[in-house]
Amino acid sequence: MTEIQHGTRGEVDPAAPRQSPSHGGPRQRSAATRRRASARIGPKLGRFGLFALPGLVAYVVFVLIPIGMTGYYSFTNRNPFNPPTKWVGLRNYGDLVGDQEFRQALVNTVIIAVIVTVFANVGGLLIAMLLDRPTKLYVALRGVFFTPVVLSAVVISVIWQAVLTDDGLLNSLLRGLGVDHPPGWLSDPDLALYSIAWIITWQMLGFCVVVYLAGLQGVPRELQEAASIDGAGRLARFRNVTWPMLAPALTINTVMLLITGFKAYDQIQVITNGGPGTGTTSTMAFQVVQTAFNGNHIGYSSAMAAVMLVLVATVSVIVLRLLQRREVTQ
Amino acid sequence: MDDRTHSWLRPLVAVFVGAVFFLPLYLVVVNVFKPGADIVPHPAALPLPPTLDNIGAVLSRPDNLFTFGLINSIAVTALSITILTVLSAMLGHYLARSKRVLAKVAMVTLLCGLMIPVPVILEPITGVLKTLGLMTSLQGLVLVNVGYYVPFGVLLFMGFVRSVPLELEEAAELDGASKLRVFWQVVFPLLRPASASVLIFLGVWIWNDFLTPLILLGPDSGTTVTVGVYRAIGQHQSDFGAVFAFMFLATLPILVFYLALQKNFVKGLTGGAVKG
Repeated sequence: MTEIQHGTRGEVDPAAPRQSPSHGGPRQRSAATRRRASARIGPKLGRFGLFALPGLVAYVVFVLIPIGMTGYYSFTNRNPFNPPTKWVGLRNYGDLVGDQEFRQALVNTVIIAVIVTVFANVGGLLIAMLLDRPTKLYVALRGVFFTPVVLSAVVISVIWQAVLTDDGLLNSLLRGLGVDHPPGWLSDPDLALYSIAWIITWQMLGFCVVVYLAGLQGVPRELQEAASIDGAGRLARFRNVTWPMLAPALTINTVMLLITGFKAYDQIQVITNGGPGTGTTSTMAFQVVQTAFNGNHIGYSSAMAAVMLVLVATVSVIVLRLLQRREVTQ
Repeated sequence: MDDRTHSWLRPLVAVFVGAVFFLPLYLVVVNVFKPGADIVPHPAALPLPPTLDNIGAVLSRPDNLFTFGLINSIAVTALSITILTVLSAMLGHYLARSKRVLAKVAMVTLLCGLMIPVPVILEPITGVLKTLGLMTSLQGLVLVNVGYYVPFGVLLFMGFVRSVPLELEEAAELDGASKLRVFWQVVFPLLRPASASVLIFLGVWIWNDFLTPLILLGPDSGTTVTVGVYRAIGQHQSDFGAVFAFMFLATLPILVFYLALQKNFVKGLTGGAVKG
């Protein structure tokens, strides 16, 4: 068989990097077996070509190359309707610093991300504790809270628009209760951003409930009982037994919510289009898309996109690190 | 436990909170089956007698916004998740097993992809698709979905591959099976729980995607149902019955898909969640 030939050649194949010999016992053996196995299929790429390449190629072509292009465009004045494209150095980034609209979009995005992260986490935990019982009623209620997670943000946006608009269902209800001038949830420039944040929170709540429920079910009953026998009250039991064991769930939820908040786009496009007024509910994602596809200022929108990416990545990685360190120490 | 003293309180609070939470969805469902004129005066009333007029109107739209959108959504979602499940299972399997530096680099690069928001790369993607001659085509959208969601699939599969004993693969290899055969007949069947999670997660996400199909399919060619909802509200903002019926029909397929596979979904979600 050709496999055997390749097997002998594999021992001297320079393309397969060696494990450091410091590994001990069985681990070393399986690594060696694996090395022989991967060399057996033959030429340099080996299993990499067969198994890894198709997925990686799609990722490189539709994610990595576009990221590189965004980075490159951010240093140009690219505008497909106004050629030629010229290198402008850091000018786009310099312009961003003084761009009032972008600054507002950035602040709005941070506000949305913080509100969504805090409220969906707190609400999700409370509801998970409420529903942490195995009977049918609670299982059905889990389904109720999870439904919005399965629906599209567009559908959720349209539903809430019908509820929150000036003559919408909520205000009809409030008028029925005798409130003469109910708030303009989506038309008041001071309120609209918070309404958007609420809508995203409402949609993400069920996700947090499910993740916290999984965490709660991992808390051993004996631990609770032991603490209870030792005289710990409800609050003390939660603080010292339950909460530390929920650390991995908190990590997942927080990172997921932060990323969701930071990339908020659909709700703004569907409900407010950035308004009322100029940019009161505009987010970074919305600003990037508007500048790229309505303004065709690709150079400038790419600089915004680069700032957005760096911000999302930095915040997520820092938060992830902090929360994971907390998981270990507790 | 002090549960016994408040045994009546918990179900009461739970049902109340659940009902308030569900109210917006209830409003949609009841108003789909209500004549348009009754919706604004009696939004919360039950649709008695129920009517199918709103649904009929959506199905018989002269522009076929719903029917064409539905066909496109089914095609794009089904193709994307099938390709994604196979490719990310292969890639995840390889990356979980390989000790090569190249594999480590590929893994870290892929994990970074989990954080990238679509708007950051959307304009260059249109450039790539134009170069490939696939802009405003369903194939182009499928390929972009595959590239964008492959990191998530790989992440899920990698965790599961580690639970498949290496000895199984080695035994099959000793029996003379090729690498591809080992993967298809030994590894892939064992990864079924992960495959189910990937199918459901990505099925729901891709079905619900808005910005990507909005830009990549463009205004001229057909669009997906999710973008169709957006187009529909632009046309008759005040006709709640028609809009709700459109949303109801656009959501029904993915809701059924989700409910059919729900058990695996929560298992997959929590499996990853608890093990971290």
